[in-house]
Amino acid sequence: MSTRRKILLSFFGVYLLGAIFLIIAFGKGPKHSDFQPQNEFKLITWAKIGPIALNKGVLYIIVAGLLTTVTMLYIANRMQARPNRVQTAVETLYTLMRDNITRGNMDDRMSAKWFPFIGTLFLFIWYSNLVGYIPLPTNSGEKVHIFGANIPAFSLYAATANVGVPLILALIVFVAFNVEGVRARGFFGYIKSLVPRGVEGPMLLLIFPLEVASTFMRLLSLTVRLFANILAGHLIILFMSGGLAVILGLSVLGWITLPLGVILFLFEIGLVATLQAFIFATLSAIYLGGAVAAEH
Amino acid sequence: MLAHLLTLAAASLDIAGQKAGRAIALGVGGGLGAVGAGVGIGIIFGKVIESVTRQPEMRDEITQIQWLGFALTEACFFYGLVAGLIAFFL
Repeated sequence: MSTRRKILLSFFGVYLLGAIFLIIAFGKGPKHSDFQPQNEFKLITWAKIGPIALNKGVLYIIVAGLLTTVTMLYIANRMQARPNRVQTAVETLYTLMRDNITRGNMDDRMSAKWFPFIGTLFLFIWYSNLVGYIPLPTNSGEKVHIFGANIPAFSLYAATANVGVPLILALIVFVAFNVEGVRARGFFGYIKSLVPRGVEGPMLLLIFPLEVASTFMRLLSLTVRLFANILAGHLIILFMSGGLAVILGLSVLGWITLPLGVILFLFEIGLVATLQAFIFATLSAIYLGGAVAAEH
Repeated sequence: MLAHLLTLAAASLDIAGQKAGRAIALGVGGGLGAVGAGVGIGIIFGKVIESVTRQPEMRDEITQIQWLGFALTEACFFYGLVAGLIAFFL
């Protein structure tokens, strides 16, 4: 038997024995209806500065924005002819943003104009998603006691898991591509360009409202895609790593679903966080490029 | 008799029916959404494998389109899930 096989088997054995032990020791406890999973995403106002209420959503936006600015400026100011590892990684990212996301979807004049915006959008959403997977003591609804100190419970939350942040970002993109389209072709030209070529006569009555609706649906789909992906990711991590066990009062369930929780956590960090930022930026670039492109 | 039954049904429907309806909404939203998105993602990755084996030199370009398609399809699952969650919690 090889070493790898032994390790795998012993992991499996511990997993099974732990499950059996938990069934015997604790069995089925009472259901806990006072634990509300949606409270993990509740925004509790900490302080008010004029009309601005400070809560954890605001904190996460500030943290993500600051991290984006500070890290990127720091690396940009220390550029060297012989790049170290961090600089190489950032340069790869820059190439991805410039060549694949921006230049792949618009002409040169437009990409020179809009690359800073698309790049910032990508980096901000990416940082915001990634910061969301670091457990931070932000859940002020619950307290934990560590060495006598009363600190808020650690929780996962991301600025992009709140529907407001993606909505504002999508609104900026929506306004931007409509304004660019109107600028490039004039108001009536832009309205006309919404309808595909070759549609004439009575079909216009059917197609035109659909195309206008689909333009507005872009706003909704950009928002919901980002927000729901991140929110659902956090929810499923919460349920898999103990939430279900608490709600149903079955401690063995928590043990069984814990490996799934870890796998999903890695999946969310490795794929979803980056992919969603990439998709948001790519779609923004496609919309901006499509609004001014010669052919529909 | 019938009127009596109807009042009974209405009384029980009010609370239990509402709860059941919410649970059904979440189940249908999540479950059917997952079915559709699962089929779509399967088709995307199947086609990607097909096209990469036919034209391996196009791999980089296809990979980018693949992730775009994957995310667009996956989002459809979340539309259903969000609708279900809204029905369940609000």
